[in-house]
Amino acid sequence: MASSNNLTPVNVLTGFLGSGKTTLLQRLLRSPRMGRTAVLINEFGEIGLDHLLVQQVDESVVLLRSGCICCSIRDDLKSALRGLLSRRERGEIPAFDRIVIETTGLADPGPILYTLLSEPVIRHHFQLGNVITTVDVVNAGLHLSRNREGIKQVAAADRLVLTKSDLAEPGRTAAVSEELTRLNPSARLWDAAQEPVDADFLLDGLPSASAPGPACYRLQNEGAGARGADAAKELRPHTESVSSMSLILDRPMDWTAFGIWLSLLLNRHGDDVLRVKGILCVEGSDTPVFINGVQHIVHPPQHLERWPTPDHRSRIVFITRGLDERRLRRSLEAFCKLRVAELSGA
Amino acid sequence: MCGLCGVFLGESHWTDVAVGALGGARTRRHERLHRVALANRILKLYGLKLSDWQGSAYLLGSQTGQTAIVPSVAAVWPAAERLRKQSIDPLDARLIEVLEQD
Repeated sequence: MASSNNLTPVNVLTGFLGSGKTTLLQRLLRSPRMGRTAVLINEFGEIGLDHLLVQQVDESVVLLRSGCICCSIRDDLKSALRGLLSRRERGEIPAFDRIVIETTGLADPGPILYTLLSEPVIRHHFQLGNVITTVDVVNAGLHLSRNREGIKQVAAADRLVLTKSDLAEPGRTAAVSEELTRLNPSARLWDAAQEPVDADFLLDGLPSASAPGPACYRLQNEGAGARGADAAKELRPHTESVSSMSLILDRPMDWTAFGIWLSLLLNRHGDDVLRVKGILCVEGSDTPVFINGVQHIVHPPQHLERWPTPDHRSRIVFITRGLDERRLRRSLEAFCKLRVAELSGA
Repeated sequence: MCGLCGVFLGESHWTDVAVGALGGARTRRHERLHRVALANRILKLYGLKLSDWQGSAYLLGSQTGQTAIVPSVAAVWPAAERLRKQSIDPLDARLIEVLEQD
């Protein structure tokens, strides 16, 4: 459904090779609310998509000369989105009110998100919705170990979709779930093999800085068991360099001081800050500010209409590679205490 | 804005976005001056000074007269590191101690 600000939401569906992206997309597209959805895919695979608007994009990346890889423009994606927009405006294609981009298994989500947030025409017509990452429970260890993109895809996710859990050994799904929650506690989990498709949950919904999804609770309560412990041991060597931390700050923060701190942190450590997601209690504002960043890319902050819980403290989740949690917390607190004499005559 | 590349994401940097939505507690001009003053709390430790430039950019200067014009506060840091030829790390224990004692 088109958003209230008339920007068309764009969801990114990513996940490693063979992790069930297209199968999930196929299930999603059967939902009545997905009838006016345009789909951009990288390649037509073995699973056919019987849908009105499916378009293929090549994978060409334009790396800015001075740029880092996460901030490169996906030229193909830019052309595809602008083309869809143009054709919709001219009435050449049915009016769509959502776009889903299915990436290749090896895609780094950074350039895709950067393209959506940076290209002037695109950012004035589209807004980024949830990033959905599929994780094959059976082969999670293989996927996370073979390629750095696998970790990036998990870190960038707003929704983590467990696939093939019906084929997994007992306890493995719970172990994978726990490890994914450790890696990205800000994402909500959903088990595709056990639960009916909930397009509302997967595509939209209020940002959640720290609440895991219902599937996560269920799986954790189920317990991993002995085989789950084996699975955890298998996964941990590939993911132990990545950690997540959740910082809670009791006092309202100066938004400007926070911006200075985060921009300085991303300048120096952006490659190792895989994700920043949080809800901030900002001085001078009764309602919270939601922030969301992937590596060097920070989404425009959103003012939420209300606090999602009675707890009005700032809560920020960081997914980092090799950064010291205590040092990060001390640094943030020190910067948030920065004060200057009140300015006058402005 | 990419903090590393200093490339615009659009007309405004993400640190600017919340300004108007904060209920007009500060004007845009006031907010820019506040941002400059806070950034200078860090930059002075490295012998650098930031000032507003025409309300549309920032002028970063060193004690030896080197200058750089940058579009946003995020672009200040790579420019500052180039001018000083040293990294400015918010996780540097000495920097944190200085700020804690300040």
